[in-house]
Amino acid sequence: MKVRTRLLISFGVVVLVPLLVFGLGIRMEMARRVTGEYQRRVDALVAVINADLARETDRVAARLAALRSSLRDDNAFRAGVRGGDSGYVLDYATNAMRLAGLNFLQIQDDEGRVVSSGHFRNEFGRLGPAVPPGGPALVRAATAEGPFLVLVTSDSVSIPRKPFRLVGGVAIDSSFLQRLARDPELGVALRLPHDSAAPDSGKLVVGELTLPYVDAVDGPGTVEQAHLVVTRSSALLTALQRNVNLWFAAAVLVAALAALLLAGWLSTRISTPIEARIAIGDLARQVNHDLKNGLAPLRNVFRHLTQVARDKPDELPQVFTERQGTVESSIDYLETLAANYAKLSPQSERKATDVNAVVRETIGGGGGGSSWVKAKLADGLPVVTIDALVLRRVIENLVSNAVDSLEGKNGTVMITTERGHGLVRIAVSDTGRGMTKGELDRAFDDFYTTKDGGTGLGLSIVRRLVIDSHGSLNVETEPGKGSRFVVELPAQ
Amino acid sequence: MQAPSRDSVVYPYFMPARHIVLVSAIALLGACARPQIGGIPPGGGPSPSPSEACLLSTGDVSTHSSTITIGLTDAVNPRHAPTPRTDGERLVFRHLYETPVRIDCDGHVQPELAEKWVRDDDGRRWTFQLRDGAQFWDGAPVTARDIVFGRSGAGYTLGALEARAVTVTLAKPRDEVPPVLGDVGLAVTKAAPDTSWPIGTGRYWATSATTTPQEIRAHTSSGDTLVFRFAAGGDARDLLDAGVDLLVTRDRALRDYAATLKNFTVVALPWDRTYVFVTPEAGGTRFDGLEQAVRAEARRPEGSSWWLDLRPCGMGGQSSPPASTGQRRILYNRADPTARELAARLAALSHAVATARGPDDLGDAVEAGKDWGYVVALPRIAADPCRAAKDLLPAWSATITALIDTRPTAIVRRGVARWTVDQDGTVHLAP
Repeated sequence: MKVRTRLLISFGVVVLVPLLVFGLGIRMEMARRVTGEYQRRVDALVAVINADLARETDRVAARLAALRSSLRDDNAFRAGVRGGDSGYVLDYATNAMRLAGLNFLQIQDDEGRVVSSGHFRNEFGRLGPAVPPGGPALVRAATAEGPFLVLVTSDSVSIPRKPFRLVGGVAIDSSFLQRLARDPELGVALRLPHDSAAPDSGKLVVGELTLPYVDAVDGPGTVEQAHLVVTRSSALLTALQRNVNLWFAAAVLVAALAALLLAGWLSTRISTPIEARIAIGDLARQVNHDLKNGLAPLRNVFRHLTQVARDKPDELPQVFTERQGTVESSIDYLETLAANYAKLSPQSERKATDVNAVVRETIGGGGGGSSWVKAKLADGLPVVTIDALVLRRVIENLVSNAVDSLEGKNGTVMITTERGHGLVRIAVSDTGRGMTKGELDRAFDDFYTTKDGGTGLGLSIVRRLVIDSHGSLNVETEPGKGSRFVVELPAQ
Repeated sequence: MQAPSRDSVVYPYFMPARHIVLVSAIALLGACARPQIGGIPPGGGPSPSPSEACLLSTGDVSTHSSTITIGLTDAVNPRHAPTPRTDGERLVFRHLYETPVRIDCDGHVQPELAEKWVRDDDGRRWTFQLRDGAQFWDGAPVTARDIVFGRSGAGYTLGALEARAVTVTLAKPRDEVPPVLGDVGLAVTKAAPDTSWPIGTGRYWATSATTTPQEIRAHTSSGDTLVFRFAAGGDARDLLDAGVDLLVTRDRALRDYAATLKNFTVVALPWDRTYVFVTPEAGGTRFDGLEQAVRAEARRPEGSSWWLDLRPCGMGGQSSPPASTGQRRILYNRADPTARELAARLAALSHAVATARGPDDLGDAVEAGKDWGYVVALPRIAADPCRAAKDLLPAWSATITALIDTRPTAIVRRGVARWTVDQDGTVHLAP
């Protein structure tokens, strides 16, 4: 894996992992806080519902107490239960229920049979619900048209010495449950025993309280437990989670993109000199290895000759002759090696060179052959002592940089030559992007480049070649306006 | 008559016996004075005014009142005319429309559109002669064709012998006058131009112009007016307080209230209605305590029941009962409080559910037979049992259990008008 790739991954991990941890932390904290807030509201609502139910039960109990008093004083009812007008007894609960503002009223005898029913006049003789004495209970009561739910409580009365039980209540319907649920985001629902209806998947149960429950539709029934549950819609939290997830994903995406760009830029800045140093190191190791290979036979021959000279001096000429081939062979190897390495750095051949001719040759072909490149060459220039090839490389590099600085826009690159005091001045100027001070400070560093795909060695080589030729190199530049490189070489 | 107290209510039935004897004697003399119709066997002609026995005892009527007001506790729909579906419609239609004959409270056939009749073919064929001057409200004469057209039923065939003679040919000969011509299904009407009240032949006429949501006004050519006034707000006691002359009710509470009023007489009318439970289930069930379940005056069912054997009508047992749906539902007529109370009691006893239906919907539901049971009100006596069965009972094989008999009560202002009652319990002004 390349260094650049490793750097890229490393930067990505360094940026993304904290971001992910941060985002997940925010998400969990938000969920915890929202849930906590809901739970506080639910607890408050459950307390309010309890209070409401107690208040409603007290109201019903007060009405039953008033009915009990009225019933005790009612002579017609007394006569009716003793065998008189049964119609009066049957209709009693209907009228009493209406006057008391109840939705359910039964008068039961000591066996629990209905003597008079307000909500269902003609259920007389049936066994009434087996409501536990005292306290509220939920009853599923029968009417002719079908069952309905009531919250009941009971009272008792003796007429004259015959016990009767009053069971009264108010209807529990959707409007009643709505009144209990004061919080618009919370709902109240009933869960009855043996309720086969599937719970609403869109509602989450967040609180509940229990009530005694009697299903008295087909008989007195038995006491079971009904649950009054507080629900909230899962839609709100789902929407909140969806939005958080969406924004979180967007943040991660943007951060990842930024991290990748940053990592790419940083890895480029760092990896280029590292790779260059790795390449130089590899070359140095190869040179070291090759030199050792060439020197090892020489060292052996020298040790042998030293040993013979010390131990058998008379045989030294003969041994020298015998080993001369080895020495010469090793020297040849080293010379060949040096020649090969010398090929990596071409040897300059300094001689009198016509600067204008080299400039023309350079402009006429290669990288300087662009239509943007103009030349203004002074006549009668003295020759300079420089390898023409070196001079050409210098000019080519400078012209190439100047053309690149135009960045494809309109502009000009001008090469001028002129005579100086004992020198010849070659100037390459452009109208390109120019350089900042920071760029100028590093312009002659090895491997520094501002161009995609550049090696960062061009100006470094130019400076070295000019200095090797006993010349000088100056730069004048201004960002956005262009640069001017001036090479001065001693005239012959 | 002194108003009875609540605990000792006395409901005079019909005319006291001494009056009946006196009136009957006068009527008998009158009958003897009539010319005999040739060929009439004993019992074959019009009875000697036996309807006098059906007069309600409401005190002496010394002066003629040109406007009589009748209170109504039910809705009246002219589109139902001439076949009534409620007590209110029965009262109104009886004054507006005529059948060829009517059956009085004693079961005697009385002249109406037909004034006389003869028996032929040993009682297999009867010929009815329409009264002179019988005409529709628009002045068109009533012909035999107006009566017979499309009106034959099970066991009899109607024919127009002459322009004013109607023949009834029976499947089985009868010695007594066939009562089928007293069936309300044979009331004579023709369509009105304004599609309101059908044009009838009775003494009183009404049109859409004389009908408002509050009252129906019916007039005679001599200037007499009958005002049928509806109970405002549903409380019939307001009608009594406002001074109506007649109110027919099945509500015991209203009856008890009327008994406290000085100028009114409370008269118990004949047991005219039997409520039955119709179910596809075989066997039948006995229900006790149903008289207590209703606020109407009720008793256990008595007497023969015309609906028990409908085979002569081609009904009953000829088709299997339809499959009952899952829930045990008992359907009843929403407009009938007694039916509602009975359905509720049956629901309490059988753990079923009582469900209300409009009168028309109930008829359709009974015909379909998809529910567990139906509470249906039947007339105790039907002039044409087959027609009544066809209108009220299902064609499928049903188990019919009589639940209770009920009867209405007439609350009559004393000394205003003479009222009589028919066999089907309908009260109307005496001719």
